Amino acid sequence: MAPLKLAIIGGGPSAFYVASRLLSLFPKDEPLASQLRIHIYDRLWAPHGLVRYGVAPDHPEVKVCVFPPGPPVLSNAIPLSQNCTHKFDEVAADPRLRFFGNVQVGPQTPPAIAHSLPISLSALRPHYTHLLLSTGCTVPTLHAALPPSDRTIPALSLVHWYTQHPTRPSPPPLHRTEHVSVIGQGNVALDVARMLLTPPDVLDRYDVPASVLDVLHRSAVRHVSIIGRRGPLQAAFTTKELRELTTLPGASMLPLAPELVASPPAGTKLTRQQSRILQILQQRAQTTTTTTPGAATAERTWSLDFFRSPTGFTSDGRHLALAHTALDERSRAVPTGATSQLRTDLVVTALGHHADPESAYYDPASGHLRTDRGRVLDATGRALRRVYASGWAATGARGVLAATMIDAYAVADAILGDHFGDSSGAAGAGCSDDDDDDDDDALVSSSDVDPESVPREIEEGVRDKRIVRYDQWKKVDAEEVRRGEEGKERERMGWEEARDFLTRTAAW
Amino acid sequence: MRLAWNRLAMSHHLFVTSHYRFAFLPSRFRPTHCEATYSVLLHVISHSAKAVRCHGNITRPDPGTGIRLHFRDSKGELIKTVEAHDGDDILSIAHEHDIDLEGACEGSVACSTCHVILSPEHYNLLPEPEDDENDMLDMAFGLSETSRLGCQIKLTRELDGMTATLPAATRNMFVDGKKPTRH
Repeated sequence: MAPLKLAIIGGGPSAFYVASRLLSLFPKDEPLASQLRIHIYDRLWAPHGLVRYGVAPDHPEVKVCVFPPGPPVLSNAIPLSQNCTHKFDEVAADPRLRFFGNVQVGPQTPPAIAHSLPISLSALRPHYTHLLLSTGCTVPTLHAALPPSDRTIPALSLVHWYTQHPTRPSPPPLHRTEHVSVIGQGNVALDVARMLLTPPDVLDRYDVPASVLDVLHRSAVRHVSIIGRRGPLQAAFTTKELRELTTLPGASMLPLAPELVASPPAGTKLTRQQSRILQILQQRAQTTTTTTPGAATAERTWSLDFFRSPTGFTSDGRHLALAHTALDERSRAVPTGATSQLRTDLVVTALGHHADPESAYYDPASGHLRTDRGRVLDATGRALRRVYASGWAATGARGVLAATMIDAYAVADAILGDHFGDSSGAAGAGCSDDDDDDDDDALVSSSDVDPESVPREIEEGVRDKRIVRYDQWKKVDAEEVRRGEEGKERERMGWEEARDFLTRTAAW
Repeated sequence: MRLAWNRLAMSHHLFVTSHYRFAFLPSRFRPTHCEATYSVLLHVISHSAKAVRCHGNITRPDPGTGIRLHFRDSKGELIKTVEAHDGDDILSIAHEHDIDLEGACEGSVACSTCHVILSPEHYNLLPEPEDDENDMLDMAFGLSETSRLGCQIKLTRELDGMTATLPAATRNMFVDGKKPTRH
């Protein structure tokens, strides 16, 4: 087989699942195995993308695929099997895979990460036969009437704050915030609401940075309104996240108007998830706060505000103006003409995410890269030879980890299918015949590459201690767990701390 | 070679996706030497089941003494019949016997990748799923009336002879997505 040397841009779950699939289809003892090399580049110094910088801290079971070996700290909370080597580490332990953290390939939309090493996509070309863009959806979708300001922040900034993301957004002013309005009713909206509503003492033992816990302990938040322009059946959150919020200690849900959760007319076909969500909400609608066990002592409340669409702040700047909405025959939200105002201190917009518009092959219409079954398309719709995309960069920001995994496996299969097609002289699927390897605009080389080579900038970056390898990350990872005090999952490090730690321990 | 194809079709959805992938191509692009083109790949894939997997720390009973469990693929073809001990869960059994069933969250009920479809007569013997399992089943692909998460089903003697069918693995752009752009 011709060499398959793949550069993956982005080191999140999708990248690791594609790598895992490729490496496991070519086990190390196979003669063909030596023809495979995978280099993962991440703009962040630490790997695993949203698993580290997106999954809510109180959901450690979702991160189990990257948990360090050894006894889990929260052994009663995380029933994980001790014998399992976790998947991403297993993948990275393969000598055919290399990880280069803290490398920004190509341009990006601000906020930039000051310490990451910039390199152009074309600088990679002489060194790779294949390219996979797994850059995710890194840019929050904003609300036209509610641009970011001192009282409106995108949910992503909040998530980046509580995960100590290298973009380092400033902490929200929770000490003077009593009422929060979250715009959007997806799982990110519920994650944010849960983080703001959970008693900080509960969060102490999770992977929440000490500086974040300080702010949460001083929080004045009393109520979180979760606002959506459509109804319970159209909400994007999943049953698990809703149930979790309804059973949160120390916080109670305000009752819903019964007509909001009335069962739909006979003949309406509901999905399993829709009926179960409706069931949970119907139980809540019948329960007033005073009869909920523990509600009398609940310090905080939250509400699902359906059929409301914000139109901006009122002139005094203290109220959110809301247009009331209803569904038209195609289930779209249309204004009814009625309006109301909601006194609020902080607005968090959780309206989804899209790929970075600065990235090559970005399609503004879809909000992600132009792709066809894993293959990246140019502006004319032609598949680029040996250039692929996977994960949210290819599909848009939707779906849980399992969906990302299945997508990644399919993309890995596409890469192999094309590769074996190529090597037998058959036309690569989805590529036109005249797509020549020597095209000036080709992003990858033909088979004539050095299996071990990396761009000069990367060699220098490694030498200058600006790039983090996977074995170095594992040392930081272990140190973070060690620094987590008794009963705490871990204490995260930022780039400066991680760099100092690696220098002190001579791990560079 | 024909035998190898069939075996692969039963055990590995890579074949299925590849098959679909070529089906849409104009005939001049379709690989005409499928078996030749793919023989190397097949060879590699046939070894893939040996790749290191996360085993559930279970042991195999002496032949003829364990609880029998049949694994079938999404088309109903028998993958293999295995024997396991009382108390072993389906995910661990699958991993012990190299059945291609994922378990991304390693049995912590945080994903739906170990979704299986059980034979109705055995499904009815099981206690109702807990809320957390149901919440994950909401997101499973190819859900049926007798779907469960493999990690949550522990074998008992009365389940002897149960069938666990793997759902169609690819709810993705390769099979049911938009048509490819051709020019």
